[in-house]
Amino acid sequence: MSTLKKTSLHQKHLDLKAKMVDFGGWEMPIQYKNLKEEVIAVRENAGVFDVSHMGEFHITGKDALNFIDFAVTNDIKAANDGKAIYSPLCDTDGKIIDDLIVYKISEQEIFVCVNAANIEKDYKALESIKAKFDCDLKNLSANYSLLALQGPKSFELLKSIVDEVQDIEYYSIQLLESVNDQKSFIARTGYTGEDGFEIFGSHEFIASLWDKLIAAGVEPCGLGSRDVLRLEVCFPLYGNELNQDITPLDAGLKWTVKMNKEDFVGKAALEDYSAKYQLIKLSLDKGIPRAGYEVENEMGQSIGIITSGTQSVVLKKGIALARVDKNLYQESKKLNINIRGKLYPAEINKKPFVTGGHK
Amino acid sequence: MSKVMDGYLYTEEHEWLLVEDNTVTIGITDFAQSSLGDIVFVELPEEGEELEAGNSFGVVESIKSVSDLYTPISGKVLEKNSTVEETPENLNEDPFGGWLVKIELADKDQLNSLMDAKSYTEFCENL
Repeated sequence: MSTLKKTSLHQKHLDLKAKMVDFGGWEMPIQYKNLKEEVIAVRENAGVFDVSHMGEFHITGKDALNFIDFAVTNDIKAANDGKAIYSPLCDTDGKIIDDLIVYKISEQEIFVCVNAANIEKDYKALESIKAKFDCDLKNLSANYSLLALQGPKSFELLKSIVDEVQDIEYYSIQLLESVNDQKSFIARTGYTGEDGFEIFGSHEFIASLWDKLIAAGVEPCGLGSRDVLRLEVCFPLYGNELNQDITPLDAGLKWTVKMNKEDFVGKAALEDYSAKYQLIKLSLDKGIPRAGYEVENEMGQSIGIITSGTQSVVLKKGIALARVDKNLYQESKKLNINIRGKLYPAEINKKPFVTGGHK
Repeated sequence: MSKVMDGYLYTEEHEWLLVEDNTVTIGITDFAQSSLGDIVFVELPEEGEELEAGNSFGVVESIKSVSDLYTPISGKVLEKNSTVEETPENLNEDPFGGWLVKIELADKDQLNSLMDAKSYTEFCENL
């Protein structure tokens, strides 16, 4: 018997003949008809993802802003109301508990969206530092469904269904006034590098929105295409590029650690820390890199491992992110990836493999 | 429904075998290509390599996954299909046309445990 958790859209995925997999304890669609077509739909038109398994926390009260700003490494106070801010959440050693997005509705009301597999861990971490702040922290994950509508046609499509939707800026949010059953909002965010929205609302609202988007011809997309899309634009994935053995400074996230702001969890540790690892972007003319493969220097010495790899749909070649030893990498003249005992020369890319069209 | 052709033998790993005298041609089935999705990479053994029954002799990769190819028979590789290494997507379109390797059959008894078209169809239906 399956004890996997199901999102409120589960039956709709089965009706669309999605291939379902166990994803961190959730039975989720990995692909519908064709992964490649899903990727292309998002890059050229629009695709919709059910990401309701992700977690939502609601922080309210006088110290809501002070609390979240102390909890995470990025600067939430510096952001205007109505902004979304990406940030790592670290422990006191500066190691990454999770990466998340903070939605600053106001100084007294904050939403946080966290990775599904980390909901309990994150909640505990936040709960443990809350005592000195005058605010409420609630885990509303069970009350919210979440859609990601991604691709260049996202705005016009969403607007055609929810008329009040405005042409908000990238990483901005808008509360939906016309949806009354539960606080609902959209954010111009996503995990594909394309323009698009993430839409938070009640199970009923999200289910009806899903139906309307599918009826409007939006491609339903699974976690498989989502992973290719995010890797093409080099967004990190918790559990692959990020984990609690490393700090944000080891994973290309220095820009999210604001040492100039007031005290925050992990600040002291990160002040004294110099990065051991570096996250690099590799592409191959032949062969497909996969997570776990070794990256070797010209002497055949292993300098690190591939954390995520795939065949890029856009570039039609193997692409990967790799966590390598910083010193060994800087001394390396040439890199090879060891694929089943054979060495394949890797090209080091300074920029993301694909430039998404987000605003 | 995936396509299964008469006159071929099949493995539980979803490969087909075509036996002509002592030469056995191996490919992947329609079921295999369909569950893999877009095939983007194929790695095959070189001519002259000795394969052993039950071992992996190469890989087929889709965008998201790596699948080993297993041979149910032992023998020397007579020929590999270089075309399929260059255009792996052809395996999606024509899995029976896009053969992988031809092997010189060493032991005919190794064919006994393989399925015919009817048994393989049933095997797939029960997955």
